[in-house]
Amino acid sequence: MSKEHFLEVQGLKKYFEAGRPGLFSRAAPRYVHAVDGVSFTLRHSEVIALVGESGCGKTTLSLLLMGLEDSTEGTISFEGRDITHLSDKDRKAMRRKIQMVFQDPYESLNPTQTIEEIVNEPLVVHRIGADKKERDERVKKAMEDAGLKPAEIYLDRYPHELSGGQRQRVVIAAALVLEPEILLADEPVSMLDVSIRAEIINLLAELRITRQIAVIFITHDLGSVGFFADRVAVMYLGRIVEIGTMLDVLEKPQHPYTKALISVIPVPNPRLRRERIILQGETPNPIDLPSGCRFHPRCPVAMAFCKDSDPPFVAVSKTHQAACLLLVK
Amino acid sequence: MAVQITTKVNPPNRFEKFWVTMRGNPIGLTGLVMLVSIILIAIFAPVIAPHQYYTSGDVSSSDIYNAPSSTHIFGTDDAGKDVFSEFVTGARVSLIVGFFAAFISVAIGGLTGIVAGFFGGRVENVLMRLTDIMLVIPDLPLMVVIIALTKPSLLNIIFVIGIFGWTTTARIVRSQTLAVKSRKFVLRARAIGAGNFHIIRHHILPLVLPILVVQAVLTVSYAILEESTLSFLGLGDPTAPSWGQMLNFAFSRGAMSTGAWWALVVPGLGIVWVVLGLTLFGQGLEKVLNPRLATHHLMPGRPVLAAKSGTSVQAKKALLEVQNLSIHYVNDEGKPPARAVENVSFTLERGELIGLVGESGCGKTTMMLALLRLLPAAGQIVDGRVFFNGKELTALSEEEMNDKVRWSGISIVFQGAMNALNPVRTVGEQIAEAIIKHIEEFPRDQVQTRVVELLDLVGITADQKDNYPHQYSGGMRQRAMIAMALACNPQVIIADEPTTALDVMIQAQILELLDSLRKKLGLAIIFVTHDLGVVAEICDRVLVMYGGVTAEYADVDTIYNQPSHPYTQELIKAFPDLTKPKKKLSSIPGYPPQLDDLPAGCRFAPRCPSAFARCHIEQPTLHKLGDTHLASCHLVEVPK
Repeated sequence: MSKEHFLEVQGLKKYFEAGRPGLFSRAAPRYVHAVDGVSFTLRHSEVIALVGESGCGKTTLSLLLMGLEDSTEGTISFEGRDITHLSDKDRKAMRRKIQMVFQDPYESLNPTQTIEEIVNEPLVVHRIGADKKERDERVKKAMEDAGLKPAEIYLDRYPHELSGGQRQRVVIAAALVLEPEILLADEPVSMLDVSIRAEIINLLAELRITRQIAVIFITHDLGSVGFFADRVAVMYLGRIVEIGTMLDVLEKPQHPYTKALISVIPVPNPRLRRERIILQGETPNPIDLPSGCRFHPRCPVAMAFCKDSDPPFVAVSKTHQAACLLLVK
Repeated sequence: MAVQITTKVNPPNRFEKFWVTMRGNPIGLTGLVMLVSIILIAIFAPVIAPHQYYTSGDVSSSDIYNAPSSTHIFGTDDAGKDVFSEFVTGARVSLIVGFFAAFISVAIGGLTGIVAGFFGGRVENVLMRLTDIMLVIPDLPLMVVIIALTKPSLLNIIFVIGIFGWTTTARIVRSQTLAVKSRKFVLRARAIGAGNFHIIRHHILPLVLPILVVQAVLTVSYAILEESTLSFLGLGDPTAPSWGQMLNFAFSRGAMSTGAWWALVVPGLGIVWVVLGLTLFGQGLEKVLNPRLATHHLMPGRPVLAAKSGTSVQAKKALLEVQNLSIHYVNDEGKPPARAVENVSFTLERGELIGLVGESGCGKTTMMLALLRLLPAAGQIVDGRVFFNGKELTALSEEEMNDKVRWSGISIVFQGAMNALNPVRTVGEQIAEAIIKHIEEFPRDQVQTRVVELLDLVGITADQKDNYPHQYSGGMRQRAMIAMALACNPQVIIADEPTTALDVMIQAQILELLDSLRKKLGLAIIFVTHDLGVVAEICDRVLVMYGGVTAEYADVDTIYNQPSHPYTQELIKAFPDLTKPKKKLSSIPGYPPQLDDLPAGCRFAPRCPSAFARCHIEQPTLHKLGDTHLASCHLVEVPK
């Protein structure tokens, strides 16, 4: 098995029916194009960041990768095997390999369970561990790997007795206990204070070294992907518009959307206040997609021809691609 | 019985907590006492009953309908039997029917509700339509028919009442299940690989259970009432006399005409006693299990305590001046108060934008609410003064605050714009309301023009005025909130984490908007945030708070380029710097202090990388490092 084909996503699409225009209307049903042709690969213990604003389809994409939604088109393969549509049994087995960390640590823990019950639950579900002692060992190790040290003092507590950062560590521990190979983190720090964010990001960065876990890091904040991500994919309206190594994207952004996103990242120094490219309006609704390049209505450098044709991916370098018509010329 | 259900499921410490809360709830406690007393009577019926119920073989006419006396404290009935003994035995039957029928009802209703709510789709449709049909069937006539057709045995009665009483439970449980199902931890359980049964058992049921328990208590009273009705109609089990049957016999055998009121009143009171007890207990239980019913937010606060020392009565020229403000959250259980804000001072000039930075729980929102005197009920200003335009706000009455300060002088934009807007009224209406409510003399024919003008200021076009909040995106809602805050031309706007839940691009738009409003309208803005990056973009001065006290207060350039307090330094290091993308983020180990359990010395000392012995013993005072630079740290102490 080649290193390249660890996780491979090809032309993935997810359309949701948005209801017919009228109850008795014969017009075709309209669709929300939540994810509209996404392709990328993930290597062993690689960290890839998927960046985009709300409405760009990044959360739907994460649900598709987890098999919590069924894709409309396209394939996901893991270690060379197609895992797009699986039987319940195979899907359950697959979940041991891909685990997820959710955005809101206040909502993603059941308030009636103790921390021990929460972290132990995946083992119960998958019937892992011969006896209680073995499960306890695994729970303890997962918690300490997630930075809840010593694990004993947390076991009997309830989620509401912990801070936001500690809760997010519990969520991470509950994912680690299954010893997954891929961790999908959907905005894992956006609900946390800045001082706590760094800890969680550093923790994820450590995990890929200590446990060789690949991480798909989903965020709206390009600022938080430096240091930790190997590659960055920028999404807009259900598609990846630019993908490259972290330095490619942060230092030599090619797509006007990426450039705008980078320009609005707050810089913690008033002496470095820069010219910001503030895009007006918000991401259009994904039901009636703009013609041609999807970004053209908000693009500060759009040309007349941007309305007419959908831009293909253009290779800027071996590791860096972007979909903008200005790069084609 | 219901209490036992809760204890079984929850660990003992929660039972204790339950008991403590229940004790503080007079209504629930009354109900519980009423219930326990009647349950004890029922359990010990054979011991309590003074006269054997079934030994009424030799009845003489002088025994019939005897008035209450020392031998028969509740008198005798038409057959010469002791009413008190009958009452005590009847309690058994009524309670048995009540509890068992309710058990059947709650089991059917709970199962139907959970299955319908959890699986949705066709299953839900079928089950809920069935529930609807059950609801419209007149249950009493049908029960009468069924029992008349079958044998009126106790078992039949329990069963018939049970299968008619589940509809309300099913509906309530279904809606609760729907709410729980959409919560993120259920999705997380799926992501772990849990199946439906596991999720229902471990994630849905524990959260539906409180409602189920309350519902069970109320269903018991429903069942007891139904049993009494059936028995009164002569459909009771003749071998198991209940209160309803006592009523039936008394009524049909001339108790009314002979004036033997006791034969009717005693069983009637029994029914009222139990039903009332159950209802009160159910209400109390609901309050205990759902504490949100009891909280009051933004109630008229506690009185402001007079400033002690260190404040000048005379205001300086600044627009807003806060002097040595201290705010505590007082609790009634005799524990020490939470010292949310202590001794914080700052000034705000006209047109200035000041950033108030700190982690959650550092007292920043508390302080802002205190400026408007909108603290939650437990919050109290215990020291310090606030001057606004030379007026001492801490000395104003509630009315004066409303007339002169709130909204017209200082207004506030809250975090989470979705929750702050009323979902059933258009944005335009809500802004119009804000104008009229605060400026009574505002000419009514100009209100709409003003609304359009305000929306235009924040970049919303006039044709979006009549849209509802859900038709707005997150960024637009936040703009609408800002328009509402501007309604009465305030001089100061407090923006409490206005961009926290928004995407970076929308965040940039809102920051740009606030900055332009400040320039256009000469507004002074207090920008509350945990995000130092945002502050660097637009603020003039920055107040960094930690654990309720000022850590550092300086102009924005000093804060970022020559920070003196270790906390400020660490915060800046923890912030990702795009110009150095490869640099590892440093983090601040540990967590902010609990405000009711503060360390003895410097509040940051337990997390501080440069703390030394003195920091753990002595709280540092604010040191002046320059004209506009203050820091509270032993390391920056200037020798006197």
